[in-house]
Amino acid sequence: MTKKEFSFNDAVLRIEEILKNIESGELDVDRLSSEVKKASELIKLCQKKLRTTEEEINSIFKEMP
Amino acid sequence: MTGKLSLSELQLIIRDSLYMALPDFYWVVAEISEIKQNYSGHCYLELIEKQDDETIIKARIKAVIWSSRYGFIKSFFENATGESLREDLKVLVKARIEYHELYGLSLVITDIDPSYTLGEMAAKRLLIIKKLEQEGVFGMNKELEIPKVPQRIAVISSRNAAGYSDFMNHLQGNSYKYVFYTALFDAAMQGADTEQSIINALNRIASKSDLFDIVVIIRGGGSQTDLSWFDNYNIAYYVTQFPLPVITGIGHEKDLSVTDMVACKALKTPTAAADYIIETVCETENHLFEISLEIKNFARDIIEESKNRIERSKNTIAPLTILLMADLKKSLSEVSLEVLRLGKEKIYSAGIIIANRQSRFVSAALSFVTVKENLISGFKQAFISRTGISLRRNNNRLSAMENSLQMLDPVNVLKRGYTITSLNDRIIMSAATPCEGETIDTLFSDGKISSRVTGKNEKKPKDTTS
Repeated sequence: MTKKEFSFNDAVLRIEEILKNIESGELDVDRLSSEVKKASELIKLCQKKLRTTEEEINSIFKEMP
Repeated sequence: MTGKLSLSELQLIIRDSLYMALPDFYWVVAEISEIKQNYSGHCYLELIEKQDDETIIKARIKAVIWSSRYGFIKSFFENATGESLREDLKVLVKARIEYHELYGLSLVITDIDPSYTLGEMAAKRLLIIKKLEQEGVFGMNKELEIPKVPQRIAVISSRNAAGYSDFMNHLQGNSYKYVFYTALFDAAMQGADTEQSIINALNRIASKSDLFDIVVIIRGGGSQTDLSWFDNYNIAYYVTQFPLPVITGIGHEKDLSVTDMVACKALKTPTAAADYIIETVCETENHLFEISLEIKNFARDIIEESKNRIERSKNTIAPLTILLMADLKKSLSEVSLEVLRLGKEKIYSAGIIIANRQSRFVSAALSFVTVKENLISGFKQAFISRTGISLRRNNNRLSAMENSLQMLDPVNVLKRGYTITSLNDRIIMSAATPCEGETIDTLFSDGKISSRVTGKNEKKPKDTTS
């Protein structure tokens, strides 16, 4: 659709995977910090996607017959 | 032939014969092929009967429902079936034959049994369902998963339908401030065009299916909704085959159409459909919140546990370190003693001359000190003895002085015959001192005599100047 495609489903799957990794307790503290950071970034992206209008989609939809 | 009849006379005979032969009313099953209400409120219909293959009409008759009955029949039927009296509907009517000289033969409908139509519709619906099931497509759209965030929505509706604006207002005004993108694919939602225009819309969407997350079919908001337009095999079949999940909001409180049944999700009203979409997004967001909370808690636990582990290690390491340090210290001091000893050895062996010199110097110093000590103690002795002599001599001198002093005591002098003369308690040592007539005192060793001076015999002082 768009060039920098962001899939909400993929993001949620990734976040769930991070949670699973953390839950398993097999992460060392160094990787823990980077994984938590990654999850937090993805969550922010998701929230942004829910509430920010993408003009590209808007214009495509307006041009539709 | 007995004579000629006028046309009206003939019609009269026909009418009378009909009325004689068909005196009452009949329940007749027919399909409505035309229906319209005129300005006076009478309803005119055309009823037909088709052959089993539904292509050839094998009977047809005009019918009327007088306005006096039409209002009642209409609302009763609509309430019972959820359908309006319309074309293509199969009905069971109570009718009597009417013959009019001008308008000919027709049926006057006095009642319609809605349960027949319901049964008919149900049967028709059942037939469609059965067919879809036999083809193995009935549940296909239901198997699609509604996306976690259905933000891009293709809407099939009629532009002016109240249901469409309800849906849009509800969706765009959602309290979570979610963004939704919608594109309307205009279609007829009832009437004979319904089937074709909905299929067209579905085809147009399918050609751009990657632009959309879901399809919503929306109707309703009008006074009457005809569900049976959606009891349509072709529409239902398209929905089952559609690549995107289809959500319906066709607006029927009582029953589901076949289209509803095969759709991925069926809601009763357009507003409910909008709510469902909003809630789906909301659930996803809540799920994210929960995950982020869990991640936070787990991460915190892990960090806490690591901290505790470090703390525990610290507690074990500290005493160990102390032991280790003590050991180290001990061996260090041993080493240093060894080094000192070795060093001394080296120094001794390397600097023996220096050591000799040193001892000589020491003995010299010692003898010097001894001489000095002796000297000092000699001084001491001398000092002590001399001081003693001096003291003794002084003592003797003092006792001689004491003796002299004792001898000088006037008492002793007086005892030897000397006297002391005083005037007015003052010792006088010159005869010149008292005047004639004055009383002088003479002190003896054993008493005092007072006497008056009656005359003086003074010695002339010796000339010392010559």
